[in-house]
Amino acid sequence: MTRAIDIGLVACESCELVMRARDPISGTCPRCGEHIERRKPNSIARPLAFLIAAAALYVPANTLPMMVSVQLPLHRSDTILSGIAFLWREGSWLLAVLVFSASILVPMLKLGALGLLLWTSARRSKWNSRGRTKLYRVLEIVGHWSMLDVFVVALLAAVVQLGRFASVEPGPAVVPFAGVVLMTMLASASFDPRAIWDDAGPRSAHGHE
Amino acid sequence: MQIRRQTCGRARPLGYWGQKDTDPLTMRELAICRYCDTVHRRFDVPGRATARCVTCNSPLYHANADLGAMLAVTVTATVAFVVANGFPLITLSVNGHKTEATLWGAIVASYNQELPLVAAALAVSLIIAPLIEIFLLLWVLVPLCAGTRPLGFSLIMRAIRVMRPWRMVEVFLLGLVVAVVKLAGLASTMPGWGCFGVAVMTFALASLGSFDTSALWRRADEVRA
Repeated sequence: MTRAIDIGLVACESCELVMRARDPISGTCPRCGEHIERRKPNSIARPLAFLIAAAALYVPANTLPMMVSVQLPLHRSDTILSGIAFLWREGSWLLAVLVFSASILVPMLKLGALGLLLWTSARRSKWNSRGRTKLYRVLEIVGHWSMLDVFVVALLAAVVQLGRFASVEPGPAVVPFAGVVLMTMLASASFDPRAIWDDAGPRSAHGHE
Repeated sequence: MQIRRQTCGRARPLGYWGQKDTDPLTMRELAICRYCDTVHRRFDVPGRATARCVTCNSPLYHANADLGAMLAVTVTATVAFVVANGFPLITLSVNGHKTEATLWGAIVASYNQELPLVAAALAVSLIIAPLIEIFLLLWVLVPLCAGTRPLGFSLIMRAIRVMRPWRMVEVFLLGLVVAVVKLAGLASTMPGWGCFGVAVMTFALASLGSFDTSALWRRADEVRA
């Protein structure tokens, strides 16, 4: 297959206009004015930095309470996991599975998959490029679903304001949890999936210095 | 060179035609896969299909280039946005005591609970990002359908692309369902009209993603010519 980098073509990231470009590329798209570049800059280091930040925030996000609910005389605080256990015991299995997927599985998948993608492309691996590209696309799609729990807590806190009788307050885990989502979204956005293919075939050898 | 896989669309690798030509007109007919950098020649894809990359099978572009339909969906999204923001999402009643949660109320509540970051995340992902996207699409689509080039077209198209990942209306819809179920044990809970607005907005915004955005660029180029 012909790759754009091999025949000196580049597409504008914003308007998808294909143009001929000679290295070193500088300047903007003639049609829309977007900055033109062949590859995203620092395609390993930048996502790695976001990934490390996400992994660090992942610990408080899962251990601190996500929601503090008061129903006098009861007072309970729920972490993500105990909130899911609560849904499960209530009999809402489908929702428990959904929340588990969005809040536990998706962040874990994102951390693991991003780590795998970064590691394999840093090693210029040729292993299963098609599968790795698919993995990256899945990451792009599921990326923001982990915000689910933040939204639920904010909604509950807004609606349950019955004075001294009952109240729901967001716990200290909310901010790191939203931080994990933000950091992993930034990490996948700053990774360049074309790096997966840049060393996959014999053709692309002269695409690099 | 052989076509290894051809799903739905008729995108073909450049090499298939032995094409070496790079004059500007032919460049318009090219599409480069943003995932693996393979060069394809654009073809009219039938119906509502999606052209996929021959190398990595990622979507290249969508067939649906009907700007009138896109405008209709955007207007639907506008109405749904107003309903989602203007009406309560959840109504809770305990002993005749009624509380209602609106989208704005949820943002204010998180701000008052000393969580300005959460309030900002809610405001951006549920109000600002969708509002900007819908407004900018209207701004662009109305003149294009009327046959003039919108003011600031390229800048607006770039802004839409930047805003898109930050709207999370569809996640919020699921959040509403979870919240209603969690509250069911506490008091009598009713989903309000706002929920309906959020649901319609979710589907409208999702369907906007199935249109070929390069059609907007082609129309804008035609209009100028």
